[in-house]
Parts: sequence; structure tokens; C-alpha cells
Amino acid sequence: MPTLPEDSVPVMKNLTSRRSLLKASAAGAAVAPVLAACGGGDSGSGGGGEGDPQQGGRLRVGVAGGGASDTLDAHDPTDNVDIARNFALYASLMRFANDGTIEPYLAESLESNDDGSEWTLILREGLTFHDDSPVTSDAVVHSLERILDTDNPMRGAGDMPGVDPEKLEVVDERTVIIHVDEPLVTLPEALAEYYNCIVPVDYDPDSPIGAGPFKYAEFVVGEYSLFERHEGFHIEGQPYVDELEIVNFPDDDARVNALNSGSVDVISQVPHTQVAIIEGDPNLAVMESETGMWLPFTMNIEEEPFDDVRVRQAFRLIVDRQQMVDQALAGYGQLGNDMYARMDPSYPEDVPQRDQDIEEAKRLLAEAGYEDGLDVELVTSDISAGVVASAEVFQEQAREAGVNVSLRRVNPSDYWNPEEGFPYPFGQDFWSARNYITQTAQGSVVGAPYNETMWGEHEEWLEYLTEARQTPDDDERNALIRQAQEIEFEEGGYIVWGFVNLLDAHSTRAHGLEPAVSGHPLGSYAFHTMWLDQE
Amino acid sequence: MSGPSTSTTPTAPVRRRTGLFRTAWRFGRTKVGVALAGLIVLIAVVGPFVAPYTPTEFVARPFESGADGTLFGGDNRGRDVLTRFLWGGWTLLLLAGASAGLGVAAGTVIGIIAGYRRGWVDDVLMRTNDVLLAFPQLIAALLVMSIIGPKVWLIVAVIAVSHMPRVARVIREATRKVIEQDYVKAAEAIGLPRGRIMAVEILPNVTSPLLVELGLRLTYSIGVVAVLGFLGMGLQPPTADWGLMINENRQAMAVQPWAVALPVTAIAILTVGANLITDGLSRAAIGIDRGVEK
Amino acid sequence: MTRLIAVRLFFGALTLWAVSLVVFAATQALPGDAAQLILGRDATPERLEALRDQLNLHEPVAVQYMQWLQGVVQGDLGTSFSNRRPVAEFLASPVQSSLTLMGLSALVATPIALFVGAFSALRRDRGFDHSASMGTLVVASIPEFVVGILLILLLGPGGLDLFPSVYAREGGPEQWVLPVLTLALAVAPPIVRMMRATMIEVLESEFVQQARLKGLAERRVLWRHAAPNAIGPVAQVVALQLAWLAGGVVAIEFLFNFPGVGKVLMDAIENRDVPLVQAVVLLIAGIYILVNLVADVIGLAANPKVRVANR
Repeated sequence: MPTLPEDSVPVMKNLTSRRSLLKASAAGAAVAPVLAACGGGDSGSGGGGEGDPQQGGRLRVGVAGGGASDTLDAHDPTDNVDIARNFALYASLMRFANDGTIEPYLAESLESNDDGSEWTLILREGLTFHDDSPVTSDAVVHSLERILDTDNPMRGAGDMPGVDPEKLEVVDERTVIIHVDEPLVTLPEALAEYYNCIVPVDYDPDSPIGAGPFKYAEFVVGEYSLFERHEGFHIEGQPYVDELEIVNFPDDDARVNALNSGSVDVISQVPHTQVAIIEGDPNLAVMESETGMWLPFTMNIEEEPFDDVRVRQAFRLIVDRQQMVDQALAGYGQLGNDMYARMDPSYPEDVPQRDQDIEEAKRLLAEAGYEDGLDVELVTSDISAGVVASAEVFQEQAREAGVNVSLRRVNPSDYWNPEEGFPYPFGQDFWSARNYITQTAQGSVVGAPYNETMWGEHEEWLEYLTEARQTPDDDERNALIRQAQEIEFEEGGYIVWGFVNLLDAHSTRAHGLEPAVSGHPLGSYAFHTMWLDQE
Repeated sequence: MSGPSTSTTPTAPVRRRTGLFRTAWRFGRTKVGVALAGLIVLIAVVGPFVAPYTPTEFVARPFESGADGTLFGGDNRGRDVLTRFLWGGWTLLLLAGASAGLGVAAGTVIGIIAGYRRGWVDDVLMRTNDVLLAFPQLIAALLVMSIIGPKVWLIVAVIAVSHMPRVARVIREATRKVIEQDYVKAAEAIGLPRGRIMAVEILPNVTSPLLVELGLRLTYSIGVVAVLGFLGMGLQPPTADWGLMINENRQAMAVQPWAVALPVTAIAILTVGANLITDGLSRAAIGIDRGVEK
Repeated sequence: MTRLIAVRLFFGALTLWAVSLVVFAATQALPGDAAQLILGRDATPERLEALRDQLNLHEPVAVQYMQWLQGVVQGDLGTSFSNRRPVAEFLASPVQSSLTLMGLSALVATPIALFVGAFSALRRDRGFDHSASMGTLVVASIPEFVVGILLILLLGPGGLDLFPSVYAREGGPEQWVLPVLTLALAVAPPIVRMMRATMIEVLESEFVQQARLKGLAERRVLWRHAAPNAIGPVAQVVALQLAWLAGGVVAIEFLFNFPGVGKVLMDAIENRDVPLVQAVVLLIAGIYILVNLVADVIGLAANPKVRVANR
């Protein structure tokens, strides 16, 4: 079955289980009441006092990060605040729903032929950019050309191998046919990424125009940006607020303080340490989102001692995953099972959870020739919250198995620098939620930009993956992916010990936030669904 | 030939040095200083032996304040705050002591040479000194740390080098006064080698300013080592170190104040104690209130 | 006198040049090359090569130094790696913030310190003098970031909750209280001590004794006759303390998240933003040298011996 967006993608069938999983875990968490109070989007009821969305007001949002390299370029956002602004200004053809499924956004439909080599895109009717010009096929073609420009490829180019910008075919005002050199079943995913959004033909990043819920008003690099409601936004009635102000807050304490003092209504990424402070204030609430973001340890399978699969398995058995989540994430996370792409419908939930087993780890290490213990260097860096913490926890846990881990801390901006030794024999990384095939293209196939484990030459695994990539039928494809996942579970180079829960906070005056699994805060910066109590 | 000359000259000054501590002890503030600094040194030295856990063991949730089995709760990773406090002092003392010792030793050598040799040697050494002095100590340390990366030997070296010109200046002045004395002139007249004069005739007679300088630099070293740790440019995790503890736990000061309050108080008491001793020494040595320089 | 000042100025300039050499050499020693640092995770060989050309990284080091120095002299401090904006333009606002912070601290600290010092001199060896002496000794001993944290623990959100402990762009004036108080406490003790010592000296001087003998009121003696004579040496200490502030402000800005040059320096070190690190270190060293020079000149002008000797 080709991917039919209108009945909301085959991924649907797993939707119920995902949703119930989200709710079940939320109920067990400390912040459950808050979740119920501020969520409520899908059922429409939520907690008490939610009521109907009210129009108007200025929503002030403090977003973690930002700095001197801030940009408004539609196709080149990097920092958190760039991403937040991107979600406000622009819209993609498809989008990830809160549960990780893919749904049409600017597109009305996106369908492939039987072998996935030709995709037909139909735009919604009556779409307009911020300058009231219509969103047309030409804009789609221009956007894809800008992203795929061979002289200056944008971030999204890697998601669309085989899409040739020269072979885009404009059928009419609203229809484009995308010819692909090799079958590409992940095109809907690629077109759902925020950085592959649609811009007008005469796009200029200095006065940015998009089709997102808010239009550009002011922007000061490193400080803040201001947006106004886009009257022509395609979702009826949204956005609810008249103005949106996004303020940079690289400092955690300052961000929480700003919420405390009422100078912003919503903040992203509350540090674990501050949750208690926010929960103690009746005017504030925390939203916890279970996500598919993971912070793996990376074992380079080409380097000693990790070229021996027994060592890799031993290291995976060393990890006490519950302790890892408790200490490194202060309990705000889910256990991992050495497999990634947790939100992918193919994720093998039935594989038994791997637990700490020091005896077995010692036995495997002895078998591999390290009966007298093993010294390894773990390269760590503050590349994402929890990364350095997990390295310190691992160091402590490994001691029990006779493995002496020394930590080498590298400056975050140098972490991916080959001169520092990247890819390291034993290192770390962080990844946001992606589906399996897209994730392997980024980190697990030969030639992937961040293949730190040097995985990808395993023949059996590669066969499953290659076949999965070309299988349009979802059940068949998922079965193939499960096979590939299980090979990584037995032999891979990642230690996936957990998935991170995101914590955002808002004043009780602000409503309409819903947790999303994407790993992007504030329900993937869904500013268009948020609203404020009006006096 | 050198025998008689050494026996005749330096007896008087040596007596003065032994008297310095006794004179200093007469000041009440010296006694208070010794008590304060002694208390902290005791904690730092004995601490690791009486700590209830290992410094990297997890005993609580991160920043949990009332966890079972802990007196002061958990730190940013959930390790025992009391244990890490008990473990975190000796690194600070060792680094501060080493850098102050090295800095004062190097500064003394330079100061004596500059003061004794005068002329172009003096000029070159003192001009170089001025350039070194032109860097605020902390900025110099940060610059070097950011380039080479935080390493233990580097912390000691950077602080020692930043002390050197300051000590050299003081010792040079003291040396100039000493060389006017008869016994130095006598030694020169006998034809003693310069190195020997500097080591045997001059050095023992600048011990009073030297000791004061040592106390001053030690106090200052404690501050710099601690501030480097606090800025994340000193010892690295998971080391238990007071400066680093402050850095790691400061964002939770409002919910788990102990993890910051304990090391901060210890550093405050230690520096006050060290400075009181220094003050006592300087009063004893020069008879005036020398005060504290930044 | 003029000649002496000219000599000091010359050495000041020479020192500044030496500092520039050290700063440049030091930042050259950074591991990795600038282009790699800028592009980070986005580095491709082509983009690297293009950027190296753009940054003149292919030139010999000596040429790079000359180009850099030439720029510095003309006020062009290069372009920041992380934001691609001219460093001079980027630094304008942090410099302003830092100067405001330092100025406020000096403004708070100096009059109080002068008063306490003068009063101690008058009450020499009595209760007030002893407690002031002990107090300044204690405050001067404790590293200033420790003083700041103690203030936060006491007055901040975890304690009496009177003042915020971090600075935010949209916060009110109360967020200045703790940083200013910390810095004021850090600079005050030496001023108190110098004021006390100088006043004691002046009060014992002949002409004050004469004024007393003339039967003038003690208050008039103190403020009209004694105090003006203490200005010279005290001004020198105040200037020295300001020079110290230029460096000491870093840890305090880091502690309070205050958006000044110190915080910029810490961020630049974190991002390996070489031009920014160079500029800030040079700036702080420059201010330090300059203010020290001013202190020197004040010292020369205030010292009667030198004044007379040069006549």
C-alpha cells in the first residue's frame, strides 16, 4: 500500500499502543496531574478549567540555547532557538504528529507508485504565504532546489538521496511529481522534517517569508525575536495568540527565573534540579514528554577492544539501566534496550529487556582475553544534558566488572573534530527521535555522516536494511527492520541505555501544550496550538 | 677559606627567624588563625578516612536533600554530599601548597638575583616581571587553561608563575637592604663566589619577608585553585574537589544548599585562617599592619 | 615629573605590545585549526578549504600576527567565529554592562570605605577600629566568588529570598544588588586600610596638630585639613582596586550570569572562539595596565618627595 496521508499513514495501527504507552507512563510519573491539566488536546476535555481556546494576547516563550550564531534561514537552523523560530515561521509539506506518526501539513496528499520510485504531491487548496501570495507548485520546486543545491547542499539534502531537483515535474498549480532515482520509502519522513520546509520562489532569509503560523516582525541575534499571527494559516482558527515572542535563554537558571517572575509564559527544557521549585508554585506547571531521544555510548567495532563482539556485549551487560536513568537523568527517562528508533512502529518491543549482569560480563571479558581487567578511555563532552553524567555513572558501574574507565572530557565544539580523535574507540553521542531507516542513513551505514561505531558492513544486516528501504508495504518492511534491529541488539556497537524525557514548564495562564515524542521541546514548538487566558 | 667567613657572619639573623614565630604567636589573631586553618586542614586530611561512602558511589537521587543514610543529601549525580566534602579538601590544599611553594621559591631566586646583581640583569628580570604583572592572575590562568586544557600540573604551574613576579618584587627590595649590611660586604671582600653569597649570606636574611610572602601567596593560591574549579577550568569530574563541587551543584542552591554551603564555608574559613596567620607573621616581621593585596 | 610620567607611559605601551604577542602566540597554540572549529559538525573538506582561505589561515604565522595587530590598532578585532559578527561591534554591549557594574561597585564601595577608614583612624585602637580591622581582614581573605555565593545563600531565593541570584535581560533593578554588593565588598577592604593608615599619619602630622592648637573644632580639623591630605595615597589604592576589578569581574559575572565581558570570555573559551578570546583578554589586560599606570601617576603626583625632587 502506498503511503496515503489522508487516512493518516500506515503507522496509524501502532498509534493506539503508542498513545496508551505515553499515558500509562505519564500516570506513573510525578508530574501526572500537571500533564492531565495542560494536555487535553486529543480528547478536548483535559483537566479542569481548560475550556475553549481564547484568542489574543502575546505569548512569551523562553527557549533554551541561542547565541551569536542565531539564524532565521528556513533550511539551515541548528540551535534550539533556531528550531523554535523555524516551527513558528515555516511549514513543511508533512509533519510529525505528537505520537511520532506522519501526517500531511501543507500537503493534501503524498502518494507513491508501487515501487516507491515516483511520488505525487498535491498541495492543500488556498494556502498562502505571509505576504498573501499563494503557495504553489513552483514554491515547492524552488524549496527542494534550494535544499538539494549541489554547490551548497542544505541540511535536508542527506534525507533525500536519489531525489533529483532537475527531475521535479510540475503538473499544475497544486501538483508536483517527484521522481526518485532509487526507491525511497522514507520521503514522507524527509518532507516532514522542519528544516525541509516550503518557502516562496523569491525567498530571502533577511526578510523571511514562510507559510507557518506566525510571520516575522523583529529579530535581534542572540536575544529575541517577535512574530505576528499569520491570518492565512491553513488550520482554521489557529494560531490563537496575536503575537509570539521567542527569547533566548542559554542559561538554565535565568530561564526558570524568567518564568518564576512572570516575564515569560512558557519555557523549554527545565533542568531536573528546578522541577521541585516549579512544582512548588501553584501558578506554574511542568509538562513531561516521553521522547525517542537517546544518548548512547558508542563502541567503535573496528578498534580494540571493541572489535571483539564479546567485549561489546560485556559492556552492555555492565550497565545498570535503571540506575543510569535515575542518576544521569534524575529518573526522567525510559529504559533502553540497545536498540534505537523506539518510536518507529517496527520497534521490537518483545525482545527481552537486557539487564545488568556483572558475572556474565566478567565471563565474556575473560573469554575475550581480559580476565585480569581492562582499561579503556571514554571520551565524553557536554554535548547534551545527561551525556557527561551518564559517562560518570558508567565509570562507576564498570568498576564492579573489573573495567577501569578513564574519562577524557572534550570541549563540545571539538567533540566531532577528527583532530581530537573522532570517531573515538569509546565515545558518546546524542540523537533525537528518528525512524529506523532514516536513523541508519545518519549513523549506521557505511559513509553515514556520524557512523561512530563503524557499523554497516554486517552483510546480513545490510541485506535486511536494503530490502526494507525498497519495500513499500509497511508490514513487510517492519518485519525486515525488526530483523535488522535484532542483529544490532546482539552485535551492534551502541549501548542504548535509555531514552530522555523532556521537561517543559509554563504558567497556568498558558494552555494548549501537548507532549510530543519528537524530542523537540514544547510539543515540537507547537506555538499555534497554545493560547492564553484573556482577562 | 669559606669556613671562617660563614661562621662569623650569619648568626644574628638566624636568631631573628626563630623569634618570628614566637613573636607572631603572641598576637591573638595568629592563634585564632591557626585554630581556623587547622580545623579545615584536619577535615581535609582526615576526611577521606572517616567518609561514610566512596566519593563516586550513588546513594540518592540527584539533589535529593533528605535521602536515607545521608546527612546532607545527594549532589548533582546523587553521590553523598558529606563524603565528597570530606574527600574534596586535600586536592585543594595540595594544589595550593604546591603552587605557592613553587611560586615563592622561583620568585625568591629571581628577586635575590635581581637585587644582588643589579645592572642589566636586574633590568631584564624586572621588565619581564612587569609584563607578567600586567596580566591579571585569573585571566592569565584562564587563557592558558583554555588553550592547553585543564591539567593538574598546569594549574600548579600557572599559579606559580603568576606568583613569581609579585614575590620577586618583594624579595628584591629585601635583598637590596641586606646587601648594604657589613657581613655581605665582608663576604665579598673575602672573594666568596656570588652564588654562595646569595645562598648563604642573603637568603637567610630575607626569611622574614619570605615567610610573610609564603603565607600571602598560599592564601591567594587557595582562592585561585578554588575559583578555577568553580569556573570548570580546574580539576575535572568525577574528582571530589571543593571548587568543582560548587560549580557542579550551584544550580540547585535553592533546593539542595548543603552541596554548595559546605565547601564554600570551608574555603572561607580556610582563607580567613591562613590570612590571620599571615597577618600575625607580618606584624611580627615588620611591626606594621601589612594588610592583604589582591 | 613629566619625564617620569613619559617613561612610565612608554613602558606601559611596551608592556601592552608584549601582552599582545603573548595573547596571539597563546591562541595560536590552540589545538585544531580555526576552520575546523567554526564548522564543527558541518565540516566537509570543501567547506573547510574555502573557510581557511577566507580566514587567511594559509599565511605564515608572522604575517597573520601583523595583520591581526594592524587590525587591533585600527580597532578591528576580527570576526567572531561563532557568530560571524565583528568582535568590536559584538563587544560593545558587554563592555558597557561590565563598566556599569564596575562603576556602580566602586561608587558604592569607595565612600563607605573612606568613611570607615577615617573613622577607624579617629577611634584608633578602640572598639570600632578593632572590629573594622578584623572585618576588613576577614572579607579581604575570602575569595570574592565565595563571598558572592555566601550572599546568595543568605539573601537569594534559597535564603531570605530578597534578591534574584541570576541576571536576566528583562529583570528589574533588584537583580543588580547582589553582584554590586559582592564586588563592593571585594574592593573595599584595602581602601579602608589605606584610608586608616594615611589618616593616622596625617592626624599626627605637625600642621594638623597646629590646627588643633589653634582651637579649631575637631570635625573641621578632620574634614578641612586632614582629609584632603589623605587623598593622594588613597586615590592610588582606589585606582589599583579598579584595575583588580577588571580581572576579578570574570568569576562574579559567571556566578550571577551577568552579561558582561567576563561572561563573554567564559562563553568564548567554551566555544573556542579565538578572536573573541584574544580581544577580551587584550581588553582586560589593556584596562588593567592603563589603570595601573594611572595609579602610578597619581602615586607620583601625591608623593611630595618625588614632586620636590623633580622641580
